[in-house]
Amino acid sequence: MTRRTSIVTALALAFSVSVPLLAHDDYRVIGIVTKVQASKLDVKSKAGKNYSIKLNKETFVNRAKKKVGASELKAGQSVVVDATGDSQDDLLALEVRIVPAIVPSTAK
Amino acid sequence: MSPDLSTPQPPSKRKLAVTTAIALAVAVVLLATVVLPAEYGLDPLHTGAMLGLTALSVPPAAKAVSIPPEATEFKPVQDGPIGYYNAAYKVDSAELKLGPYEYLEYKYRMEKDASMLFSWSASAAVAHDFHGDPGTGKGSEHSYDKKDRQSSSGTLVAPFAGMHGWYWENPSGETITISLKSAGFYSSAMEFRSDRTRRAHELTSLKSSPETGRNESK
Repeated sequence: MTRRTSIVTALALAFSVSVPLLAHDDYRVIGIVTKVQASKLDVKSKAGKNYSIKLNKETFVNRAKKKVGASELKAGQSVVVDATGDSQDDLLALEVRIVPAIVPSTAK
Repeated sequence: MSPDLSTPQPPSKRKLAVTTAIALAVAVVLLATVVLPAEYGLDPLHTGAMLGLTALSVPPAAKAVSIPPEATEFKPVQDGPIGYYNAAYKVDSAELKLGPYEYLEYKYRMEKDASMLFSWSASAAVAHDFHGDPGTGKGSEHSYDKKDRQSSSGTLVAPFAGMHGWYWENPSGETITISLKSAGFYSSAMEFRSDRTRRAHELTSLKSSPETGRNESK
């Protein structure tokens, strides 16, 4: 493989990896935790929609802005999840905030 | 023979009367032929028209100066401290409910150097970021004011063409109401919410009333 071919291949690879990452959208899910697994959090939103959101080591779980372990997440807690993904069915949590119980909203 | 140094004799009463009458007659003729046509536009003997004096009595017509041709409805042409546009500004007001932990963005599309004035207030403190987005991709936003606030009033001159407005986030578990009023040379308003809904807001145009010369809401 020539040097030029190597560079072109590397650039193409970098492009193919970076484009999907850049294409991700941001989502905020506000609701109640319905199920917690090691790498997944199920949340029912205020609107009644169920979300299954992936967790990883980078996910920042916090309560009142203080970092806590993912083990602190329990069913029934109110949470605010900022996630990224291609769609609502393919979300990775960037941050999970454990918040006080949410007052029923009359918004909008 | 010595010169006559005696006091000169005053004119006779008759001579004085005749001289005064002649002076008065000349004054009346000048009044009728020159002063009245030139000063007041009255021309009883048509001498003003003949001598071209009546034109002097006409006040100069107001000369309308058009705005610079480069000015558009949304992009100004600057002349000293004044930015000229070729159309009236728009006004907008919105009352926005922000549910617990929700956020929204409310932005106007503005051209570079276009101006806007605004006032907003919230029923409780909100996380806030007044910013602009030229639309050149993620991360291209520029913050103008990023502080937790409950109200703010001010003006903005857009530093670049794009969407300019506010990010408000409710940090609490209770619903917050935000009231916004603005006026400016913007072309559209969009609301983006944390649930990924977006909504265009209709702007109110100003229409100049020819009767009153005042701007009135359409």
